[in-house]
Amino acid sequence: MRILIIEDEQELNNSIVTYLQQEGYSCDAAYDFKEASLKVADLPYTCVLVDLNLPHGNGLDIVRLLKENTPETGIIIISAKNALDDRITGLEIGADDYLTKPFHLSELNARVKSVIRRRNFNGHKSVKAGALEVFPDSAEAQVNGQKLTLTKKEYDLLLYFLSNRNRVLTKDSIAEHLWGDHVEALDSLDFVYTHIKNLRRKIMEAGGEDYIQTVYGLGYKFAAE
Amino acid sequence: MRILTKTSLYYLLVSFVVFLMGGIAYYTIMQGEIYDEVDDQLFTDKENILAFIRRTNELPHVTSGVTETIVVKEVTNNNPVLEALTDTLIYSSYDEEYIPYRRLTFTTYQKGKAYQYTIMKSVMDFDDLFESTVFAMGWTFLMLLVGLGAVNYSINKYTWRNFYDTLDKIKRYSLSQYGPLQLKPSETTEFQELNTVLQNMTNKIHSDYLNLKEFTENVSHEIQTPLAIVNSKLELFMQSGNLTSTEAKLLEDMHNSVSRLARLNKSLILLTRIENREFKENEDIPMHELLAEQTEQLQEIIEMHGLTVAQTIDQPVQVHMNRGLAEVLVSNLLINAIQHNQPDGVITITLDQEKLCLKNTGEELHEPGSNLFGRFVSGSKRSDSLGIGLALVSRICSVYNMRPNYSFVDGMHVLCIYFNQIPFKK
Repeated sequence: MRILIIEDEQELNNSIVTYLQQEGYSCDAAYDFKEASLKVADLPYTCVLVDLNLPHGNGLDIVRLLKENTPETGIIIISAKNALDDRITGLEIGADDYLTKPFHLSELNARVKSVIRRRNFNGHKSVKAGALEVFPDSAEAQVNGQKLTLTKKEYDLLLYFLSNRNRVLTKDSIAEHLWGDHVEALDSLDFVYTHIKNLRRKIMEAGGEDYIQTVYGLGYKFAAE
Repeated sequence: MRILTKTSLYYLLVSFVVFLMGGIAYYTIMQGEIYDEVDDQLFTDKENILAFIRRTNELPHVTSGVTETIVVKEVTNNNPVLEALTDTLIYSSYDEEYIPYRRLTFTTYQKGKAYQYTIMKSVMDFDDLFESTVFAMGWTFLMLLVGLGAVNYSINKYTWRNFYDTLDKIKRYSLSQYGPLQLKPSETTEFQELNTVLQNMTNKIHSDYLNLKEFTENVSHEIQTPLAIVNSKLELFMQSGNLTSTEAKLLEDMHNSVSRLARLNKSLILLTRIENREFKENEDIPMHELLAEQTEQLQEIIEMHGLTVAQTIDQPVQVHMNRGLAEVLVSNLLINAIQHNQPDGVITITLDQEKLCLKNTGEELHEPGSNLFGRFVSGSKRSDSLGIGLALVSRICSVYNMRPNYSFVDGMHVLCIYFNQIPFKK
């Protein structure tokens, strides 16, 4: 699966490429509008990440271009502008998701996976990890075929872990994934702990292994193949 | 007191003193003048009488009247009055009052006999003089008063008009809604000077303000990218494995601080954008629904804090504002009520057409409630609170002419937002 990262900030672009490559994607990078439009016209991409503020042009035009030529491509807008209007325009003309800078790479990864999953590129209806199986369409999870009763937050958390398998996830990124903008005001880091404890317990009660490891000083890691 | 009233009062005071003294001086001088004149006439009469006697060697016929009386009588007295000038009053039946007379008495000799002459001349009644002086002065003073009033009125209307116009414009001047000051040109030098100075000053202030604003905006925007880069590199670093626990701890601390900085920056950008009034698309927001929505979103966190929420929403309330900002407003109010609460505390939400009120239990503040709406003011000592939430609330309120109000009643913090206050119009 090929992913194109259109971001004029070279260092940020590199980070994204590195992270996604580790996930097993083939990545191309474009640093300005011209390069981006050439690459978009050249190859069909599974997913394209577009920064809106580009040298020599507007990222929204790339989105329009993609919608015309390869409508099956998933599009995620990444922008420094947290402008509601941009977000709305972006989603209206066909972007699948919108992410405001600065973001966690793990969050970006989860969004990319979600977009690809929704477009059903690999034909799977579920995500598997060990004895676990998650069905994003119905928002359900099973362990060895037995249904898990999860709260919405626990389900979100599980999917986030599955999207970032074998990756270290910081409490901060988990909190932001679960609570979004509200994270700053609340004792969310303690809540993260509570949620993870509950999720762990439920998986183990259903006969699964303890997939969630605590990485000292950093956060958590979901270790399963 | 208006400056015109003030100067007029001073003018009047001075005029009054001048008129008083002028009146007294006039009266005194007139009095002296009249005496002089009458005395001159008396002495002329005396000279005439003496000359007549010398020439004809007989006594002249004397006349008697009201204005002038000459009386002659033979005196046997050994020491006759040689010459004496005195005042006297004689009753006038016509005027029915005593009339002041000037009397010259002198003695002359004729054929060895002494004759005493008394010449009397009426002088002007000084009461009358006094009256007419006061009358004349009074009239003049009154006319001056009318003149002054007329002059003041016209000055006020035409000359000061521009000044009041300028004053009014400065009163309504606001940096954030800057249009250059349109001051009416004045023909009065001082006012023209004032206008020029004001114009230059506001232009300078405005350009300083713009520079500062631009700087803040640029800083917050330019900081985004490096922050995103640092954040991403840290994350990559974390994935590298083989980290010792010390390194991992250091990394986490760095990551936390960068995240905090990123969130702070995000809020600051939002604050700036609200100040710049970039959120122009307004619609009627159903406040009751928005409240329910946001409470639902925070429900989990509310439960984890062990808080109880009581809502009193009688009827649907529509508020005309930007949807995004309405969400920021409501969620910040709710978060504030959660954050500054106590374990097993209570949040009471009331909404009506006039206002939205959130009450929550919590410790009393040690500072005035009005400080609460400033930036980086945090009631509690919690390090993860940015203290920017209520600044956002206050900023949004000012954009939509709403009024936030804080009070502490019966052990509860009460934060009310009064909707659409009618803006002050002159």
